[in-house]
Amino acid sequence: MKIAFKFKSFFKKPQNVILVVLLLALGYLTLFPMFSMIKDTVTVHVSEARRLQLTAGSFTLDHWMKVLFDKNSFQLFYRPFLNSLVTSLAACFVSLVFGGTFAWFITRTNLRWKKLLSSLFIFPYIMPSWTLALAWINIFKNSLVGGSQGLFTALTGIVTPNWLAYGAFPISLVTGLHYAPFAYIMIGGILRNADANLEEAAQLLGTTRRRMLFKITIPMIMPAVLSTFLLVFSSAMSSFAVPSFLGLPVRYQVLTMQLYRTMDGVAPGQGYAMALIMILISVGILAFNQRVIGVRKNYTTVTGKSSQIALVNLKKGRTPISCILVFLIIMVSVFPLITFALESLIKVPGNYSLSNLTLSFWIGKDNGAIITSGEPGLLLNPALWKALWNSIKLSVVCAVSAGTLGFLAGYGIVRSKGTRLSKIVDSLAFFPYLMPAMAFSAIYLSMFSVRRLLLPSLYGTFFILALIGTVKYMPFASRSGINSMMQLSNQIEEAGEIVGISWFKRMTRLVIPIQKSSFVSGYLLPYISCMRELSLFVLLCTPQNRVLTTLLYYYNEKGWSQYSNGLNLLIVIIVIFVNWLVNKTTGASIDKGIGG
Amino acid sequence: MPSIELRNITKKFGDFVAVDNLTLDIKDGDFITLLGPSGCGKTTTLRQIAGLEMPSSGEILIDGKIVFSSEKSIDVAPKDRGVGFLFQNYALWPHMTVYKNIAFGLENLKWNKADIDKRVKELLKLLKIEEFPDRYPAELSGGQQQRVAIARTLATNPRVLLMDEPLSNLDAKLRMEMRAELKRLHHETGATFVYVTHDQLEAMTLATKICLLDRGYLQQYDPPLTVYNRPRNKFVADFVGNPTMNLISFKGERKDEHTCVLTCKDMKLEFTTADVLPAELDEVTIGVRPENVLVTEKDGIEVRVDTSLPSGMETILNLKAGEDVMLSCVMIGSVDYPSDSIINIVFKEDHVLLFDGKGDFAASGSVRFI
Repeated sequence: MKIAFKFKSFFKKPQNVILVVLLLALGYLTLFPMFSMIKDTVTVHVSEARRLQLTAGSFTLDHWMKVLFDKNSFQLFYRPFLNSLVTSLAACFVSLVFGGTFAWFITRTNLRWKKLLSSLFIFPYIMPSWTLALAWINIFKNSLVGGSQGLFTALTGIVTPNWLAYGAFPISLVTGLHYAPFAYIMIGGILRNADANLEEAAQLLGTTRRRMLFKITIPMIMPAVLSTFLLVFSSAMSSFAVPSFLGLPVRYQVLTMQLYRTMDGVAPGQGYAMALIMILISVGILAFNQRVIGVRKNYTTVTGKSSQIALVNLKKGRTPISCILVFLIIMVSVFPLITFALESLIKVPGNYSLSNLTLSFWIGKDNGAIITSGEPGLLLNPALWKALWNSIKLSVVCAVSAGTLGFLAGYGIVRSKGTRLSKIVDSLAFFPYLMPAMAFSAIYLSMFSVRRLLLPSLYGTFFILALIGTVKYMPFASRSGINSMMQLSNQIEEAGEIVGISWFKRMTRLVIPIQKSSFVSGYLLPYISCMRELSLFVLLCTPQNRVLTTLLYYYNEKGWSQYSNGLNLLIVIIVIFVNWLVNKTTGASIDKGIGG
Repeated sequence: MPSIELRNITKKFGDFVAVDNLTLDIKDGDFITLLGPSGCGKTTTLRQIAGLEMPSSGEILIDGKIVFSSEKSIDVAPKDRGVGFLFQNYALWPHMTVYKNIAFGLENLKWNKADIDKRVKELLKLLKIEEFPDRYPAELSGGQQQRVAIARTLATNPRVLLMDEPLSNLDAKLRMEMRAELKRLHHETGATFVYVTHDQLEAMTLATKICLLDRGYLQQYDPPLTVYNRPRNKFVADFVGNPTMNLISFKGERKDEHTCVLTCKDMKLEFTTADVLPAELDEVTIGVRPENVLVTEKDGIEVRVDTSLPSGMETILNLKAGEDVMLSCVMIGSVDYPSDSIINIVFKEDHVLLFDGKGDFAASGSVRFI
């Protein structure tokens, strides 16, 4: 066949056009930065030139030596790395135990108030990851490392020890609790869909309940446990906000904090080297995930007519257990919000008496008297309104572009399923998900802070935030795009094609209306993720283009707890409100998506 | 009413050859079934005619016009080929009512409202679904959905109607009904129908000509009764007919041009034919349709009844001759035999087929047990 004809027929298919365009764009926005970063790990940077006594831009192995083989390497890299590993593993354990147990209670027992419990349980997953960390500090902080006492000490008089208030323990616990809903969604999904006959068959053979749990139920959910484990692990490894809120007071360092420190400071080369190591770990985890779970996953998705399995009767324990769960979940899901509201009203931190309450931090004109700065109350604060406007603008732009591109990517990938092009674009579109946000933004910082090709230096612009947000959140949208396109038979579209309906019309009149809810989810996920994102923007934001979350970080660094708490409450409210609004109007919901 | 011609069509998916050098000539107003086991390339062939799939090489002509040619670099878009396509899962648009489903394609062709309304009502009547114009597909039964799908496909008046296993999702009774319906539609529309199925009974009952494919190759392209009575090879003989044809392997010894003696462990018989026997007779196969295995009082060969399956109108007997040869036999009428009883059978005269060593049809004739 003639080449020109082949070429023409190839591009006659819209999915091929989409895939080729995405291949080029994503190649430039994900692979190219990756190489640029690798190069940066062996290049002398301007800020390091004097210290290294080399000219900026020349080749050096100094960064790698400093990170891996120097006498200070332990402090710089190995200890934070170990801390990251320990807290991430512990977080996995917490989320699996908490989420898994909850999933079992919900799907397999006659627990009370299942519906209420289930929707409350998802809550931490919708809220920003550091919400629980801030709440933890509000409750358990002590005055040992400076600052004021927390709610717990104020109420009981017991001074909390440092290990309880800060560092590894609360980081692991809080991260674990944040991802517990994820374990619940994954494991609960399998327990709910798994063919009850599997267990009934065992029951008929006279298997005891306990034996059935260990020999059938647990092996059945093992693949879900493993994928939850890997996802939580890699998310925890790359989280920045939680460890920095809970770790900084006692100088407990994890890898992401080191990244932030080195890259925002004088040794970006070392930061890039560490970021590269983080990326390698993530890619390794994914490869492992695909190799080990990819194959095994299949047997768990075998679903049958899930006849109602006889639920475990909790008997006398029913009401007490239900109550305990309600209490626990309210502590995790609702109580934090109350502490934020409370903390934002307190004049002198640590004093919870009624006379110490004030609305000044919300509507006061000038709080200079209290926090030694002329900062007006939140609702009158121009910095807040500017950040809010920036956040909304950024989230909308990221959601629209990531959502649209992700949908198109999903469309192209599914329509050309099996081709090499489709596989490559699939991995490219998923790649940003694996990149720790901090490392990813470090790459963009390195790449776009100078003129590139046709682009001017983008550092400090709104555009670079929108760009990185779009690329980083595309995996959410492309996953949901792929899922929804998989459910939609090719024939639906072909039935239109054959009567001459144009591609654009097939999309707008057939495909999108039919998949409305998952189509909207593809926009909702990036929107909400963007609204609550910190680690991706913290390196790239300048005071001029601050968003809500980086403003929160700024307040927290300054130690203005009333402001950070109030602002946090605002962010949570906005996120929950948008989720609720979209859910009510379109039926789309964030808990249908993947982790984050 | 257009004809369809496929010339040397080959379709590869990577290294896998789905359709191998297929040449097919479909006449005006034919009702063709593409028949074969799954993975034989029948759906691919149909999709290539529609333009939903592009052949790797070859030429396709509809109504004498080239719609695809790898040589001449022509690839006409599906909408310009004047074909209708009926999908296996109906592919009704779930968010549109029945009326809208049928009208949507016409609206796209910029028909005016009154014409659309007239055409939709006409089709609703033709397919006997006048009561449901405002229902959504999910509110219809499988059979009704199928009718809507047909109405939608017919709306634009395609002169070629391509159907991909359209009845496979219906239950047995509805399938019978819809088969009759399709035959009526073929007659009423006068269009050329190409119909994909893996169900040989469906192919037999509907088609004016059957195109039997296996692993991408054309096996036979003939009217149904020819395919049934004169299968071109053992694959066709085995695939068409239920219960399947009895196939018994023999070693042959030639007596003259028209006669040979066939032996196997459990049987010895003399085969006579009006055709000329092939030169090589070392490994041959005899084929007898179950209805041509006749139970008699005398002559023939003694066999043991393994199972007897009476269904009222007919009885299927599974018989054992000697140690290894299993035969099935269909007797018309309400008869029954106890298991392990011994009966006598002969093969109906002039209805015994001989396949050569390569499995190709060689001769048809009669046998005498010796």
